[in-house]
Amino acid sequence: MSKSWVARYVRLAVPLWAAVVAGGGLVSHASAEDVIRFGAPLPITGPLAPEAIKQQQGYDLWAEEANRSGGISVGGKKYKVEIVYVDYQSNTPRAVQATEQMITQGNVNFMFGAFGSGAAKAASTVSEKYKVPTLAATASSVQVYDQGYKYLFGTFTPNDTLTTPLTQIIKAKVPEVKKVAILARNDLFPLAIAQEMEKSAKANGFDLVYFEKYAIGTLDHSAALSQIKSLAPQWIFVTGYINDLLLVRKQMIDQEMKAPVVTMIAGPAYQEFIESGGPTAENITSASWWHPAARYEGKDIFGSTENFVKLFKAKYKSEPDYGQASAALCGALFQMAIEKAGSLDRDKVRDELAKLDVVTFFGPVRFGPNGQINSLDPPVFQIQGAKPVVLFPDAIKQGELKVGVN
Amino acid sequence: MHAAQILVNAVVLGCLYACIAIGFSLVWGVLNVINLIHGSFIVLGAYLAFGLYNSLHISPWYSVAVAAPLFFLLGYLLQRLLINRVITAPALVTLTLTFGLDLILNNAMIYFFKADYRKLTLTPSLGSVSIFDVVVPVDRLIATVSALVLTGLLYLLLRHSRVGRAIVAVRLDRDAAVLMGVNVKSIYAIAFGLGAALAGCAGVLMALIFPISPLTSSGYLGKAFVVCVLGGLGSVSGALAGGLLLALVEGIGSTFFGPAHATTLSFILLIIFLILRPQGLLGRKGFE
Repeated sequence: MSKSWVARYVRLAVPLWAAVVAGGGLVSHASAEDVIRFGAPLPITGPLAPEAIKQQQGYDLWAEEANRSGGISVGGKKYKVEIVYVDYQSNTPRAVQATEQMITQGNVNFMFGAFGSGAAKAASTVSEKYKVPTLAATASSVQVYDQGYKYLFGTFTPNDTLTTPLTQIIKAKVPEVKKVAILARNDLFPLAIAQEMEKSAKANGFDLVYFEKYAIGTLDHSAALSQIKSLAPQWIFVTGYINDLLLVRKQMIDQEMKAPVVTMIAGPAYQEFIESGGPTAENITSASWWHPAARYEGKDIFGSTENFVKLFKAKYKSEPDYGQASAALCGALFQMAIEKAGSLDRDKVRDELAKLDVVTFFGPVRFGPNGQINSLDPPVFQIQGAKPVVLFPDAIKQGELKVGVN
Repeated sequence: MHAAQILVNAVVLGCLYACIAIGFSLVWGVLNVINLIHGSFIVLGAYLAFGLYNSLHISPWYSVAVAAPLFFLLGYLLQRLLINRVITAPALVTLTLTFGLDLILNNAMIYFFKADYRKLTLTPSLGSVSIFDVVVPVDRLIATVSALVLTGLLYLLLRHSRVGRAIVAVRLDRDAAVLMGVNVKSIYAIAFGLGAALAGCAGVLMALIFPISPLTSSGYLGKAFVVCVLGGLGSVSGALAGGLLLALVEGIGSTFFGPAHATTLSFILLIIFLILRPQGLLGRKGFE
């Protein structure tokens, strides 16, 4: 009996030991090369997995482009880019652990932030402690940046920059819109956007007739929509993620709800929303931090919006959205800051990031004193003819607002 | 009129919940297995409908006929080859096994279909019917009728067929059924196959109503669980009663307290039932 256990142990332990030794050899071999390692904690599994995949695509595209051009130039020497991914399983405390692990054991030089405002804020505490410059690609809430941190920078403008231009456009172009109904997913970002919309609507003299939240994972919105219908608002504003918004839109059609203006944030920025929604997506307005229709000539590795979109389409056979673009931008900004600093010294790179004032494929980039970008006008757009058409800012405007969502 | 609309919405939603839960209830009631793979079966059924409609233009109504035997076979084999091996072990073992199987199936779906949300949109769309300003979407109406038909068919099968009576016998007293010459392992596999077939059919119908993604499976599973506890385990009509009760509480609660509290209310109801009536609305004592 004991002999068989020993035999089994040996059978298991020997290959395991061999694998560890071989793996260790590989790691030491890799770290011996001239490589800059970027840590990216992402929710690769769990409910946020679709968002993580998008962010990963953005990072990978940048890494591929950077390496194709020989790597990042540091004081005349070229360094290859390596991105170290850790899956935090859509669990914020694990994002914090993953960040600490990557900094203390994973030998990363710089960090990308975790997904969304909540996890990015939590994980930023760790990178600040170790003074590792961190670029957050998808954190928009001001609360992430009001902690007085020096090493955290973010490429999304505050949430009110999405709702204010939209409210002003509707007020100017559709004066008959008086009553607004807001239905928000009870989640950090969608709720923050809805609250900004509430402020913006009240400030612009709209009559807010309905403001309710729905729980995460809600399978049916018919009761809330029946109530909204009975109040006959002219502007229906819904926040949530793509699954929520597809379901709400389907149930609005089911209940024969019509309104001059229907706005949904953040689903319509994704190509899947337009494809899945089909004709029901027509005339829905939305806003996001970036749009492939933008036309910027940048000084970053991608050169222009057009070139970025072309490269992205060639690699992934789909249109990029703001999440993917922002992730790629974060990589491109690190590259610019490192090359300007001419060093991998974290403090020098941090200072270069803080000083950045540059036009990129994403738009003009300049960080405020709190680390959040303050140089962008996020585009307002509307789905017209199964395509997103930019209504604002004027510099990249493609069409006029169409009234009536049936 | 607003009240009538809320009531109609709740009744229709209740039937959809029953449709989601009925297969889960059957497996739990007969095999005493909490089948955690049920939600993923529903999602797989939805993908089947989506794939057949978009690639071969086969309407979801015909997809039900494809899904039923396919999922029956899948469920039958799963029970026969895997779950039957641990069926007599403590409940935690079968729970862990179905949990593991669910992880495998769910991640396989993410791998093959991606985590993107898709939507089966019929062209031309089925639209809605309105009677005295009360609007009912036709797809939900069809799913409601289908849920009632499936419930009825299952009831008839259990009451009036030899296999059905054997399933009921195993459910009532496993040992006595063995003594009467019932092949329990085979009955277990048939019951699990039926549960999977019902989940697959529910998935086809849900594809018309909800966005499709592997990530939605836990939502379906959660609803099925609550409906079974409310309605009573293993009881065909119990699933219907539980579904209706849950939808009414959610609909009315959402109107009076706001949609954010609908889920909280349904779970408060669940706790009340677990304390005061653990056998559910129509379940019998001893099967809770």
